[in-house]
Amino acid sequence: MTEKELLLDVPVQPPTELFLPIPKKFLEEAYQGDDYLVLVGPQHPGSGHMRIIVRIKGDIIVEAIPDPGYVHRSIEKLAENRLYIQNIPLLERPAIMDTGNLTLGYVRAIESALDIEIPERAKYIRTVLAELSRIGTHLYDAGILAVFMGHTTGFMWPFALREPIVEAITRMSGARITASFVIPGGIRRDVPWNVLEFIRKTTFVIERRLKSFEKIFIRNPTVIARLKGVGVLSKEDAIKFGVVGPFLRASGVEYDVRKVEPYEAYEMLNWDIPVSDDGDSYSRFLVRVEEIAQSISIIRQAVNELRAMPEGNVISEDILADYSNASSDIRGYFFKVFGNLILPQGEYTALTEASRGTLLYSIISDGESNVPYRVRAVTPGWYYLKGFMEALRGERVADLQAIYGSFGYFPPEADR
Amino acid sequence: MSENVEFLGSGIFAPFKKWGTKWSLWPVHLVTACCGVELAHAYASGYDGERLGSLNYGIARQTNLIIVEGAISRKMARVLKITYEQMPDPKFVVVMGACGLKGGLFWNGYHMVRPSDVVPVDFFIPGCPPTPESLLRSIRALQEKIMSGKAETTISFDKVDLSEIEGRSSAARPPTTPKFIAPTPSIKVDVPKDVDWEFGKKLVKEFEKDLNGLYNSITITAKNRIAISAEKKNIMAIANILSKRFDHVKNVNVIDLPHENSFIVEYQVSSYSDKKLMPVVVNIYARIPRDNPRFPSLVTFWPSADYLEREMYDLFGVWFEGNPAMGERFLLAPDTPDFPLRKDRKLKEEEYCFCEVRE
Repeated sequence: MTEKELLLDVPVQPPTELFLPIPKKFLEEAYQGDDYLVLVGPQHPGSGHMRIIVRIKGDIIVEAIPDPGYVHRSIEKLAENRLYIQNIPLLERPAIMDTGNLTLGYVRAIESALDIEIPERAKYIRTVLAELSRIGTHLYDAGILAVFMGHTTGFMWPFALREPIVEAITRMSGARITASFVIPGGIRRDVPWNVLEFIRKTTFVIERRLKSFEKIFIRNPTVIARLKGVGVLSKEDAIKFGVVGPFLRASGVEYDVRKVEPYEAYEMLNWDIPVSDDGDSYSRFLVRVEEIAQSISIIRQAVNELRAMPEGNVISEDILADYSNASSDIRGYFFKVFGNLILPQGEYTALTEASRGTLLYSIISDGESNVPYRVRAVTPGWYYLKGFMEALRGERVADLQAIYGSFGYFPPEADR
Repeated sequence: MSENVEFLGSGIFAPFKKWGTKWSLWPVHLVTACCGVELAHAYASGYDGERLGSLNYGIARQTNLIIVEGAISRKMARVLKITYEQMPDPKFVVVMGACGLKGGLFWNGYHMVRPSDVVPVDFFIPGCPPTPESLLRSIRALQEKIMSGKAETTISFDKVDLSEIEGRSSAARPPTTPKFIAPTPSIKVDVPKDVDWEFGKKLVKEFEKDLNGLYNSITITAKNRIAISAEKKNIMAIANILSKRFDHVKNVNVIDLPHENSFIVEYQVSSYSDKKLMPVVVNIYARIPRDNPRFPSLVTFWPSADYLEREMYDLFGVWFEGNPAMGERFLLAPDTPDFPLRKDRKLKEEEYCFCEVRE
């Protein structure tokens, strides 16, 4: 075998000076004391990679320090160098399985700047897409939690369940995972009735198969034994460390951006926020399972509403201007309409409830350029990393994986 | 040692060894980026990659295949190399996704590395992300390679004679960039907006009373958004007062203004405890000089700002005085250029090529 010339000389000898994002004093202290430092990752048998530097006494975690950034892809810098419209796929990439919510966050920031109202039909279709992504992401996280606990069947079921969702997104947008379907002013094209009917039927499939999943995994005594009472995050701590989304709700705070600051069609639909008071790993998981049931209900209601609406207009007239014949399908007019999009001067912050929690996109525009001056993206993973590290404190090392899985921490999302 | 290896490679048992390797391609768990979603699908019950004898396994030392799932960052490059070096021979590398091929969406990012520069690659799978079918196809192609000894592309394209395409003249020049970037942009983060928001107006009055003398201006910038402009020296006092009502930080942001020689540092705070304040996001901001970027850290009032501040130090070099972890790299690899998000750190520009669309 001939060795290929490699351009980058990456040192492979064990480094004499460890690159660890912790103070040197901390290392010395740990070595002098009775403690051990355990480096979990970056290559570890779970999802994504980050390093957690765990300081343990016996097998109790005294402190956990994260070393993120292994998937830092410079998204904020790249977004400053592209047209507003080119940033939609870019800002979707932090968590591609959550496509509906991530694109929605960015697009809503643009819409709040332009102050445009989008057509009713587009609002409902966006809601359907966002909720499909939410179910998909929660199932993904359930699968990864099962991988972390070595439960292979628990991994297979949610991923089999994801297939109909992926199929539904494909029929809506044309892409399996990365839909990039939401655009400023509406959605790319109208979704025909037979696809909406397919989505409605999909919800019944998911509901039925989730019942089997409940027997296999959710109510499985082994799973309960691994998760119950592990990694407790009290309500006060959750608020203090700014935990978001289902993990905040699992600690007893009733906060959901969809209710607090309603967007799209959520105000018109009937649904609840699942909340738990325990704050342990199991309730973090159960809250998300319950959210799947709520999302299914939202999708059914939205599809019923869409049934009564006339097909066609899904892109706002305000943004189309002269090209109003593209109002049901943007194909062919994309760069004519959006190529020279310029936002008025100012800062526009949009909060969105992505699957794993609050998603913040803040666009700063100078009012002249057709690229943003600065885009600030704070993803749910980055918000709850601090809370995740605090939840590890005082737990056993063996439970680290269960807590990691219960947070559904997805490094590409957190690092951006 | 080398004799044994040679015997295994070409001796009488070589076909058996090849056959064994072919049906036991075990990829190591090295989920490098978002393509991992499709990898998980490929090995779940929908596509069942295991029927090809390929199964994900946790420990590098007992595996023989790396599937690089998309983007490799500078920090990850070393991990990839170390993982590769740990694996026993024969070992293979398959790279998924456009990011691994030429950089994809992130081709000009400051933190990106091409996997082919770090490890020898056997197969690339294009796509963003590639479908599970194409991943399994690459596993089949790799099996063919193990048996036959040569890597062959599994896709063939029809040749197109460019001269036959109508309307294309040889003198056609590539179009110019559609981007327009203002040379001296004027940035204002508190552009006032007239909104119908009674509670906000009441809130502004309360702030004006509470923060008497500490602020420069309080503006409603949109519904549920309030911006408070202040001097750097008053930030701690303002945070002290506001932290009684707002319990967490939503965002710490730095805006670089090289033409005005200053940074704008923003803290966006909100509340989880007070139901009425839940939707309100208050933006406290101050300008600091660019040549001495120091700002008081507000972690004592809002512990949730900790990682956000450290990230901003990494990206902009603003030193948050009082945050115990300042001066340490957090997100970025040790060899990344300093403070990459400053405006004077330029990225490589795109090149546009000529492409005519026939109706």
